[in-house]
Amino acid sequence: MSHTLELRDVRKSYGDFQAVKGVSLQVEPGTVFGLLGPNGAGKTSTIRMIMDITAPDSGEILTFGRPRQPKDLHRIGYLPEERGLYRKMTVSDQLIFLGELHGLKRAETLPRIRTWLERLELSQWSKKKIEELSKGMQQKIQLVGTLLHEPEIVILDEPFSGLDPINQGLFKDAFADLKKQGKTLLFSTHVMEQAEKLCDHLCLISHGRVVLDGNLREIKRAWGGNAYTVRVDGDPQALAGLDGVDSMTADADTGRAKLLLAKDTDGAEVLRQAITRARILEFRSEEPDLETIFIKAVNDAGE
Amino acid sequence: MLANNVVVIARREYLSRVKTKGFWIGTVLLPVLMLSMTILPQLLIARSKSTLRLAIVDQTGKVAAPLQGKLALQSPAGKDGDPSPDETAKIESRGRRSTPLSTFVVELVEPKPDADAQRAELNRRVMAKEVDAWVWIGADALTSNRIEYHGESVSNFVTQGRLQDIVTDVVRDVRLKEAGYDADLVSRLTHGVKIETVRITKEGNKAETGIAGFFFAYAMFFMQYMLLMLYGQQVMSGVLEEKTSRIVEVIVSTVKPSDMMLGKLLGICGVGLSQVLIWLLTAAFLTAPTAMIIGATLPAGIPTVSLSLVAHFAGFFILGFFVYASFYAALGAAFNDLREAQQAASSAAFFLVVPVFLMFVIINDPDSPIAVASSLFPPFTPLLMLLRIAVKTPPAWQIALGYVLTAAFVVMMTWMCGKIYRVGILMYGKKPTFKELARWIKYA
Repeated sequence: MSHTLELRDVRKSYGDFQAVKGVSLQVEPGTVFGLLGPNGAGKTSTIRMIMDITAPDSGEILTFGRPRQPKDLHRIGYLPEERGLYRKMTVSDQLIFLGELHGLKRAETLPRIRTWLERLELSQWSKKKIEELSKGMQQKIQLVGTLLHEPEIVILDEPFSGLDPINQGLFKDAFADLKKQGKTLLFSTHVMEQAEKLCDHLCLISHGRVVLDGNLREIKRAWGGNAYTVRVDGDPQALAGLDGVDSMTADADTGRAKLLLAKDTDGAEVLRQAITRARILEFRSEEPDLETIFIKAVNDAGE
Repeated sequence: MLANNVVVIARREYLSRVKTKGFWIGTVLLPVLMLSMTILPQLLIARSKSTLRLAIVDQTGKVAAPLQGKLALQSPAGKDGDPSPDETAKIESRGRRSTPLSTFVVELVEPKPDADAQRAELNRRVMAKEVDAWVWIGADALTSNRIEYHGESVSNFVTQGRLQDIVTDVVRDVRLKEAGYDADLVSRLTHGVKIETVRITKEGNKAETGIAGFFFAYAMFFMQYMLLMLYGQQVMSGVLEEKTSRIVEVIVSTVKPSDMMLGKLLGICGVGLSQVLIWLLTAAFLTAPTAMIIGATLPAGIPTVSLSLVAHFAGFFILGFFVYASFYAALGAAFNDLREAQQAASSAAFFLVVPVFLMFVIINDPDSPIAVASSLFPPFTPLLMLLRIAVKTPPAWQIALGYVLTAAFVVMMTWMCGKIYRVGILMYGKKPTFKELARWIKYA
């Protein structure tokens, strides 16, 4: 099966700093692909290379099953992390211009602009200058600009940052629609709950490397059964350093700790050790949340 | 064939600028500014006709009467009377005036024995606004070459200058007469010669005063200077806006940075050319009334804008624009805010300011070695070769060489600046050093 988008061992350095140290990933058609990672992990650098804004030092970028060609970029929509619009242009002029960059004629863009502005409740703003709009409205305009040419791949860099919950909802609905239409979405975020709710496939990068890559369900299955929540009477830090525990996140206020056990460790064995450290009020097996998994994955990669 | 994207970007640049109020305000204000800088001060002085009430005390008894007569010739009533040729020549040689500036109302006051008391009395009359000033022609005026002028204001130097010219004439006539010469004969024999300047051009000869030619060349030069400066700055702030607002990320993902820069330069260059076109058309339309206004102060012919000069103006504007705008574009891309970029932009301003210093040298002698050399130095050519053409058409080979050298320089500049632009436009953070800029050119 051909991938909609594929990166093969892509590297990029800025001066002495290696931002991307050999990233490979495959995005299947029609999936929602989450590119996750802490700030500074190399997400934006990777996306900029996909969009041909910067060139990789080495490695290959393939789109639609072949090495990327310039015209392929017209089949991709890109919402940059830092929004870019001309402040002095009116909303409709701005959108017509963005459409033209993708080779759209004015006549075909106008009805699309009208539909989108209606949908995002911005119709009465179309003749206003961008600078007169609120931040949230500007982001919506930018999203319209990203989708005007009906791209097959939509790449969104931190699409929710700075949006209020209502607009976040509008964006999520729009993304769900795109998915229904069979488009491929790739978005980057550092907020794990968003990724968990929206994505089919996750790729975690840290310090310029892929540390975890897979289908959301598979990841959870692979890591499931090995996570436990413990509640203790007192400070859960008392449980630090138990044998067979790969990572622990403790919350002193609630007395809870999340434990991620090494692959072949038996939960009962860990419990036996824990009893000797603190008074255990609760010991429960559970599906790990992404955050826990990722913290472990990042730590593993660092070792 | 330009790429579609270059056209899209150029069109956006063009329309978004032409649609602004600022463009139209600038289009109206710039010529107004230039006119007010060059012509208005003279016009104001020339047009400020006032009446100067003079009380004249003549202790010699020989000067006052002819002086009164000559001063009366200066008044509108006496305008039709023929001033002596000598006088006219003198006035014209001193300035660009052909109409009287102010009217003199002369009152002859008999000299009294008590000179001090009379002076005090005249002062009182000035303070009481009965007269504006009084002139004291001492008994020794014919030998001492001095007369006195007392007034509340003594800064009306133009009027005083004329008064002095006339008094000089009168005193000289009196002296000649006393020495037994015929004043009229002497005046005719010693009459000064006036140079009638005729500029030789391919379009035929045309009477033109030196002073008109000077102002014309000066106006052309500064128009070009302002346009290059203004539009260069516009390119820089435009690029900076794209960089700081990150619009560039959206555009660069579909447009090559070099196309983006080219589109921007073409669009803004178009705005500049449109502005020039508006001016030229307006000037052509208004030529008659304008000529009337200027003709009042410039006695001889007014220089006309020939078609070839317009073409040279446009040609050198385009070349000069690409030289400076590509430099400004590179600066806008390399730096992160306007303040940083403007500091570096002062180096571009240097290349624009040097021609201003050379301007007078070139207007005075457009074929001097320094004029030829500096007008063939590509960064200066758009300004200085144009100036030379406006003053006196240089040899064709020099004009051609100027174009060729500047065009080659444009290619080099856009190539170099394009490289800085490509790297800089996506580089954020710290201010680059000149060493780094050089490295960008080398490796980009």
